[in-house]
Amino acid sequence: MTMLESIRRKLARDVRTAIDKPAEFRADVEYTIEGVKRGTISPRDVLIPAVSTLATLAFVFVLLIPIYWVLMIALQGDGATLYSTDSAGLIPKEFSPEAFVWVVGDLYIPGAIVRIAVPFTDVVYYFEWPRIVFLDASNYVDTTSDFPRYFWNSLFIGVATVVIAMSLIVPAAYAFSRREFAGRMKLLYGYILFTQIGGGLGIAALIALYTIFSSTGLTNNKLVLAVYYAAMAVPFNTWLLKTYMDSIPVSYEEAAIMDGASPFRVAWEIVLPLAKPGLATIFIFIFLTGWMEFIVAQLVLRPENYTLPVGLFSLVDTYTVPWGRFSAFALVYASPIVFVYMFAQRYIESGLSFGGVSG
Amino acid sequence: MRAWISDNSALFLVLPGLFFFSLFMFFPLLFTIYLSFTDAEPATVFQDGPGGITGFFGLRGVENFVGLENYVSVLSDPAFWNSLGITWLFVVLSVTLKVAFGIFLAMLVTSDRVRGKRYLRSIIIIPWALPPIFTITIWRGVFSSARFGLANQAIAVFGMAPKSWFNDRWLAFGTYLLTEMWLAYPFMVIITVSALQAVPDDLIDAAKVDGAGFIHRFLNVTVPSIKRPVMFAAILTAAASFTQFLIPYVFNRGGPGRANELIILYGYREAFTFDAYGAGAAIMMTAVVFIGIFMLAAVWKGQLAEGVN
Repeated sequence: MTMLESIRRKLARDVRTAIDKPAEFRADVEYTIEGVKRGTISPRDVLIPAVSTLATLAFVFVLLIPIYWVLMIALQGDGATLYSTDSAGLIPKEFSPEAFVWVVGDLYIPGAIVRIAVPFTDVVYYFEWPRIVFLDASNYVDTTSDFPRYFWNSLFIGVATVVIAMSLIVPAAYAFSRREFAGRMKLLYGYILFTQIGGGLGIAALIALYTIFSSTGLTNNKLVLAVYYAAMAVPFNTWLLKTYMDSIPVSYEEAAIMDGASPFRVAWEIVLPLAKPGLATIFIFIFLTGWMEFIVAQLVLRPENYTLPVGLFSLVDTYTVPWGRFSAFALVYASPIVFVYMFAQRYIESGLSFGGVSG
Repeated sequence: MRAWISDNSALFLVLPGLFFFSLFMFFPLLFTIYLSFTDAEPATVFQDGPGGITGFFGLRGVENFVGLENYVSVLSDPAFWNSLGITWLFVVLSVTLKVAFGIFLAMLVTSDRVRGKRYLRSIIIIPWALPPIFTITIWRGVFSSARFGLANQAIAVFGMAPKSWFNDRWLAFGTYLLTEMWLAYPFMVIITVSALQAVPDDLIDAAKVDGAGFIHRFLNVTVPSIKRPVMFAAILTAAASFTQFLIPYVFNRGGPGRANELIILYGYREAFTFDAYGAGAAIMMTAVVFIGIFMLAAVWKGQLAEGVN
C-alpha cells in the first residue's frame, strides 16, 4: 500500500501546484509591471518573451486543433454533423451530453438474489436487491452504442495479457539483471533490436499469422489474442524491467544472503518489492498494448468479441453514425490513457532514455 | 552437462518468454517464407491436406509448392513497383518533414524567449499518448470531403472550394504525409529536446561572442552537437514510415483505386482482399528484406547496443 500512498501524495502535490500557479503567475506579472514603471526592467525585456510566448501558444493550439475540434463536436451531441450548415464550427453554439450518453448507455448495478444456506441446518437466507440505475439512457437517446461490450472485451484481453506477460517477463528480467548464463548478452542484444523493429516484422508476418490461427481454429478467441499480445510485449518490457532492476543496489541482497536467505527469498522479498515502480511501469505498458492494438484484433475477431479500437474503426467505416457520437466514442476510449500518461509522464520519459539516444 | 545446467540455471527463467516470443514472431515469419513459395489461397490453405513438413502443426493444407513463381509474378507486376515507389517517396518525404518539424518544435520549446516551456513540452507531446487508431480515425474526419470537415473549413478561409481529399491521388498522399508527421513529431521532439539540452551553453556563448548570427550558430554549433541522436531517431522513424499501414488503410484503403497502397498494405490487400496468400507472402518477404536493411543501419549508425550490460 505504500505505493498507492506515494501516488496519492504525488497527486495531491500536483493539484496544490496547479492551484498555486495562477496566484504565483499574477505576482510575477505585478512584479514585472512594477519594475517597468520604475524603470528597473526595460520594456524590451518584457515584450519579447511575452510576444514569443503568445506566438508559441497560438502555434501549439493550431497544432493540436484536431483534438480540440473532436472535443467540441462531441460536446454538441447530435447537433453536430459534418453535413449540416450551422454546426461543426470551432466555437460550439450549444452543449448537450447526448453523444456521451449514447456511448456509455445505461449505468446500473444489476439486480440479483443471493441464497445463503447455513450448513447442517435447514435455514436458508435470501438476500435480494433491485436493479440500481444511475443513468437511464432511454430518457435521452433512442439507441445506445456497443461501447460497454467492447469495453469488457478490451478489459478482459488487457487483464489476461498483463497476467500472462508478467509471468513471462518478471523472472526473465531478474535473470538478465542478476545472473550470468550462456548467451545472456546475445539475447539481450536481440531483445533491444526487436524493441525497435518488432512492430514492422509483426505486420509482415500477418498473413502467416492469420493462416496459422485459422487452420488451428484459434481465430475469434480472446485468450489466444491475449497470449499473442503478451508474447509481443516480451522484448521491450523485459529490457525495461531489467534496466530498472539494475538500478537497485546489490548490497541489500548481499546482506540478505549473509543472513542465510535462499536465492528465491532474496528475489521475492528484496528485489521484487524494490522494483515496484518498474513493475508498475511495465504493467501500464503491457495493458496499453492490448488496449490500443488494432490490426491483429480486427483481423481475427468477430463482432461479438470486438475490442474498443476495432469497435471505433467499425463506427467510422460505416458512415451511418453521426460525427458527434463517433467523437464521443473516440474520446471516452482514449481519455483514460491520456490521464495515465499525464501523470506518469515524468517517470516514463526518464525511464525511456535509450543508451544511444541521450546524446 | 549437469555442470553446464547448474552454471546456466538462470537461463530457464528467460526461456519461457523467449519461447512465446519466438512462437508468435519467428514461427509466423518462417511460415510466411513457406507460403511465399506456394499457391496458397483460402480455398486451398484451409483444407485438410496430406501432411508433410508443416503437417506436424496441423497446418498443411492442399496448397502446392510453386517455387519462385510468386516472386516472378510479383516482381513483374507494375502495381508492385508503383507500391514500392510510393512507399519510398512516403519514407523520404515524411522523414524529412518529421525531422525538420521536430527540430523546429524542439528549438521552440527550448528557446530562452518562451516562458512556461515545461508545460508546453508536456502539452505538445499529447499525440504520443493517444492510441494510433484514435488519431488516425480523427484525421480521417478532418479530411472529410464534407463542407464542414476541418480541412475544408481551413481552406475555405483562403477562399478555396471544398475538396474531396481522398479521391485525388496526390491530395490523398499529402494527407498521409501530414498525418504521419503529426503522429511522429512527439518522438522527434523528445529526442531532439534531450539532445539540445546536452549542447553546452559555453559553446553557444562563445559563438555569440565571436559574433555568429542565429543561422551560423545553428549550423556550426547546434547541428553538429545534435546530429547523432537525431540521425538515430530518423532511422527508427524511417522504419516506422516504411511499415506504415494504418493511415492508408483507415483513410481510403490506399486508394483512389490502388494508387497509394504502401507496401505493407499492398501485401495485406493482395492476401485478404484478392485472396492471393502466396503472392501476399512474397510481397511481405520483400518488405522484410528492406526492414532488415533498416535494422542493420540502426545497429551500425545508432550503436543501439551501447550501454548494454
